[in-house]
Amino acid sequence: MKTDEPGNHDEALSKVLKEWRTDASLPPRFQEGVWRRIERAQAPAAPSVWATIAHWIGTVLPRPALAASYVAILLAIGVTVGWAQGHQQTARVKDELSERYVRVLDPYLAPRK
Amino acid sequence: MKRGGFILVLGLVAAAAAYACVYLACTSSARSLQRSDKPELAWLKEEFHLSDAEFKRVSDLHVAYLPQCREMCQQIDAQNVQLKKLLAEATNVTPQIDAALAESARLRTECQRMMLRHFFQVSQTMPPEQGRRYLAWVKDKAFLPDYGMPKE
Repeated sequence: MKTDEPGNHDEALSKVLKEWRTDASLPPRFQEGVWRRIERAQAPAAPSVWATIAHWIGTVLPRPALAASYVAILLAIGVTVGWAQGHQQTARVKDELSERYVRVLDPYLAPRK
Repeated sequence: MKRGGFILVLGLVAAAAAYACVYLACTSSARSLQRSDKPELAWLKEEFHLSDAEFKRVSDLHVAYLPQCREMCQQIDAQNVQLKKLLAEATNVTPQIDAALAESARLRTECQRMMLRHFFQVSQTMPPEQGRRYLAWVKDKAFLPDYGMPKE
């Protein structure tokens, strides 16, 4: 008799399981918990952040209204930052030149050669 | 995905181009001031809206003033050296130190008088409103209570 064959093995296991008795009581809602764990294990894994972004770029961004809004918002950001930094830089240069004007005329501040 | 990527890049390029254009436009006046022969005078012309004729008169006054300023610088430096030497050897206020301090004070007064005279001359060369504005600004700059103090 070949006990290594799968059919024989299952039969033996079934027999043992049928004979097996235990007095320990199961925790409440055990069966429901087991099923929940099985469902969770079988659920597809959540997509990665990059996959979500790539999906968004491939499917959502090409929509005309969204594409136009995206380009318009970035243009506005570029204009605003350029304007703010340009004004700041101009003010800094003018401030330096005004200081320099006074320094050139004041013997106590004038640069010595 | 290809179209989406193109739109993504297009937005970034548009933002960079908009930034560069606006920044260069906003700083063009500052850059032209820095490129000029005498940037501080070019700044004065722009700040006080001087015509070419007014600017020429201001520039002439400026050029005429500079040798006086240099002469004053030399006197101040020489006086500072002498005072330093006297102070290095002194343990008391000697008559020489007294005299050197008085001379330093006289030089400072003379220097301020000379500057003030120049500022008045320059302001009179400008249109009246700009002249008043120039005087108010330059007096604040050169005769503030913390005049000559190092800034933090």
